[in-house]
Amino acid sequence: MRFESFRHLLSYWAEQTPDRAALRYEGQSYSFAALWQAVQEKAAVLRAGGKSCLGVLCDGSLDCVVTIFAANLAGLQLVLLDENAPEALLGALIAYTDIDALWGDEDLTEALEPCLTGGVKDGAGRILFFTSGTTERSKAVVLTDHSLCQSAYNGSAKLPLSPEDTLLCLLPLGHVFGFVCGLLWGLSCGACVALGRGARHYIDDCAFYRPTAVSVVPLLLGFLIQQRCVNPELKLVLVGAGDCPAPLLAAATAMGIRVSFGYGLTETSSGVAISVRGDPFAMEICPDDTITLAEDGEILIEAPTCIMQGYYKRPDATAAVLRDGVLHTGDLGYLDADRKLHITGRKKDMLVLPDGTKIFLPEYEARLMKGLGHTELAVTLKDGRPLLVYSGEADKAALLEALKPLMAELPRGQQLKDILITDEPLPRTATGKIKRWELQQKVGLA
Amino acid sequence: MNRQEVIEKIKGVIFDCFPDMAGTELTEESVINTETAIDSMGFVLIICKLEALFDVRIPERQWQKLLTLGDVADAIMKRLPKA
Repeated sequence: MRFESFRHLLSYWAEQTPDRAALRYEGQSYSFAALWQAVQEKAAVLRAGGKSCLGVLCDGSLDCVVTIFAANLAGLQLVLLDENAPEALLGALIAYTDIDALWGDEDLTEALEPCLTGGVKDGAGRILFFTSGTTERSKAVVLTDHSLCQSAYNGSAKLPLSPEDTLLCLLPLGHVFGFVCGLLWGLSCGACVALGRGARHYIDDCAFYRPTAVSVVPLLLGFLIQQRCVNPELKLVLVGAGDCPAPLLAAATAMGIRVSFGYGLTETSSGVAISVRGDPFAMEICPDDTITLAEDGEILIEAPTCIMQGYYKRPDATAAVLRDGVLHTGDLGYLDADRKLHITGRKKDMLVLPDGTKIFLPEYEARLMKGLGHTELAVTLKDGRPLLVYSGEADKAALLEALKPLMAELPRGQQLKDILITDEPLPRTATGKIKRWELQQKVGLA
Repeated sequence: MNRQEVIEKIKGVIFDCFPDMAGTELTEESVINTETAIDSMGFVLIICKLEALFDVRIPERQWQKLLTLGDVADAIMKRLPKA
């Protein structure tokens, strides 16, 4: 079923299957009728509040979901924020996106209140997601409920759920993959969405909710399999937002779970290609999308129904990637004889981590340089985690000590795993840019 | 329970969760991310086990600030019921 808006989606299922469970969180639940009622009531409150841009510090609760839908219905600009991000970063993002009201943890909203702005004009319908790997240079991607609903349709056209299914939403709603593939995918199909209870419940959410489908990043899939947290009813796992090692897929398949792999970007409102059958790394292109390749293998996407409006207040950055309706992804890949998409790597100075987040290397390295007072360094990946390659003489323990304050500001997955000290110079191009591929080969990691 | 006892229990949980690390010398200053084989999901597992063991709850917002074994011990000690 293709929905035009959140209003369309929620009102449709409230009419068709009013008593069926739409959302569950711990011991609470909403039927589709109750959800639609709660959203309308909250929208009325938000309208009366006179604010223009609501920042939601996503905690994945029932009230969080209701607030997201209600803010959109009330005509507010909506910004989805990660409540676990550092406060200083949240303050900067609030200022950048013109937030004039916050929803979320009381203590946190109170602490962030001084950062609130005067609001925005003409923001109705906009939903802002930050590109994965939130950093101070992070860009807010302007999407709409229409584009997100089309993306959910694209996914469900390839991987339909039935109203009898329960989709477990483990990923943060502030990331577009979590929002579309953890929430909207299920609701679009009239299925029940069980809202994960936070990281501390990764280990027992499957046993608690007994889901039949779940969307995960590769790191989380590895955790669920290794810790044997998977319930027998689980039949479908959608993996996205990062490279998935083949042995992990094999382990899941051996447990009788169908694994599909999705490729998409925040800029395309989530997935544009999904593997449906056969080779899980060979992805079929979704109905609304067209994928072509540039001469150098860069993946180019035309997705008229799902493409972003642009980066918020960053026309320069928008123009750099979105030209004549074609998104230049910075990802490299190829199309096989069956027109299925395979991903082979990254063109940009960026690392994609197994938890789905990204590291923008020039910025990350600049912070390390500042912290260490040394410019001959670069970062690459080792076993899926960041490795610092330090060219020059140094004591590793002293370097680790010097970097402690910086590491404390970073999400755990983005903290350095190790430091490699070398007396060889870093491989660079004639213009001084680091040859990333050569660096990786040089340290024996390719 | 004193701080040293808490640290010993933390080490026990780490070695239970990651048997390959048995015999590794861990001190209060050991940086979990760079001096062990524990990735971010492994860290989640350890914290969950520690919360259950000590019957405490460390807010998820605090987790990324726990860099060393000593940091984890501090977070637990702070939340243990006073004797």
